[in-house]
Amino acid sequence: MSQPVLYLKNANIFQDNILILKNLDFEINKGEFFYLIGKTGSGKSSLLKILYGDLPLIDGVGEVVEYDLPSLKEKQIPFLRRKIGIVFQDFKLLNDRSINDNLLFVLKATGWKDKDKMHSKINEVLTKVGLQDKGYKMPFQLSGGEQQRIAIARALLNDPELIIADEPTGNLDPKTSMEVMELLNQIHKSGKTILMATHDYSLILKYPQRTFKVENGEVFEVVHQQ
Amino acid sequence: MSKSFEKYQKRRLQASYLSVVLSITMVLLMVGFLGLTVLKYRNLSGYFKEKVSITLYLKNNMSDKQQTELKKFLADKDYTNKIRFVSKKQAAEEFSKDIGEDFLSFLGDNPLKSYYEIRLKADFVNPAQLVYIKKELEKNDFIEEAAYDAPLVDLLTKNIKTIGFWLIVGASVLAFISVLLLNSSIRLSIYSKRFTIKTMQMVGATKSFIRKPFILGSVRLGLAGAFFASAILLGICYKINHKLPALALLEDVKVLALVVGGIFASAIIITAASAFMATQRFLRLKTDQLYF
Ligand SMILES: Nc1ncnc2c1ncn2[C@@H]1O[C@H](COP(=O)(O)OP(=O)(O)O)[C@@H](O)[C@H]1O
Ligand SMILES: [Mg+2]
Repeated sequence: MSQPVLYLKNANIFQDNILILKNLDFEINKGEFFYLIGKTGSGKSSLLKILYGDLPLIDGVGEVVEYDLPSLKEKQIPFLRRKIGIVFQDFKLLNDRSINDNLLFVLKATGWKDKDKMHSKINEVLTKVGLQDKGYKMPFQLSGGEQQRIAIARALLNDPELIIADEPTGNLDPKTSMEVMELLNQIHKSGKTILMATHDYSLILKYPQRTFKVENGEVFEVVHQQ
Repeated sequence: MSKSFEKYQKRRLQASYLSVVLSITMVLLMVGFLGLTVLKYRNLSGYFKEKVSITLYLKNNMSDKQQTELKKFLADKDYTNKIRFVSKKQAAEEFSKDIGEDFLSFLGDNPLKSYYEIRLKADFVNPAQLVYIKKELEKNDFIEEAAYDAPLVDLLTKNIKTIGFWLIVGASVLAFISVLLLNSSIRLSIYSKRFTIKTMQMVGATKSFIRKPFILGSVRLGLAGAFFASAILLGICYKINHKLPALALLEDVKVLALVVGGIFASAIIITAASAFMATQRFLRLKTDQLYF
């Protein structure tokens, strides 16, 4: 058995002292693709925030990319996030600088020093998402789908062990959603582990993967009828 | 469309820089003024205090030798700033001039005494010291009386104390208010970047890495403010010096250098500390707390 990239055991998740999800038990192994589905407000984002350290795990045990969650220190959070690529519904690009500078910032912030290596890395990830000629543009000069592809490129910069995507197609029209989905699918095929929250069932039908459902404060696996 | 948006962004950015530089300039100008007043205040009070003199009326039958000896004795005292000797004859002439009449001609004899007038050093001008000095001098065999204007000394000492006290209180209050003002304008400029800060944290940047450019940026604006404040302050000093040369504002290069140096040092300390605290605040917040 391979080592899981992440697991939670007997985890209870709180927001403002209110129990949102109870008794979570699940794990994801290297190379797997998981959907997390559920209505708005069901707790998908809260669960993902636990995994990237934006919400502390107070009750239960768990580990993400070899970081123990209950004992996670504030100081460790940046280093945990360097091993995870995070993609948000609202892209979260730095709007005060160009695409190249967005990517350059991440590399510099995570300890890259060699200029040539940084430029070839940026070129590599932009090519992967098909936007190698848009590096000089400002984020607001790109369409939503393009901005999300840039955000995915950014998530790939440090060769993450896990990609967490929180409704990455939530702000996109169906056609663009499919393009972004196709991109994530390719990245999965290249060997990456992906956990993606969504409430768009059409995506799941088109790209079926193992699926967890969040409902009434519980998380359980959904078995697809083939 | 994107071009006009860019222009708009640029103008907004420039406006926020301008407001930070402006408030820093104001703060530093205040700091500079207070520093200058406090430093120059010593000179100013000294200037008045050193006008206080003590007059030593001499006994009539002194030989020249005794007089020179006494003069040397007085000159050696550590409270002596300047000594002036006025002979019987000079005293009579001065007095005649004052009353506009040659009183010797109808009095026949000169009843006035020769005297030494000692200008004191500022540090010794206070009621207690003067009482002591008077007593000590009157022990001398050749001195009939040592006299000074006691009420004037009282008034001078008391006023200088109260003025000094209020100056320090005023300086502290103004400095405090100014720092609050600056603090809030720096926080506002960083507040507008709170989502950027949060995103930076999401991609794995450490707090100190995120903080650094904000602190450097604020310090750079602070140095610009320090430059303007120094220029304005020196300009005003130049003008005042033109009108009131007695204050000798421009004479003491050391004081001016100290004030300008103080302005630059305060600029760096205040802006760095304030940017540090502001970024620290937003670095601590969770994503959901940013929308307030
Ligand atoms: N910062 C917060 N403080 C308090 N409650 C929150 C906060 N964020 C989310 N919640 C609550 O937690 C529940 C789950 O929210 P969320 O995880 O965002 O759901 P989803 O991502 O599935 O839409 C909701 O009831 C929401 O009101
Ligand atoms: Mg959500």
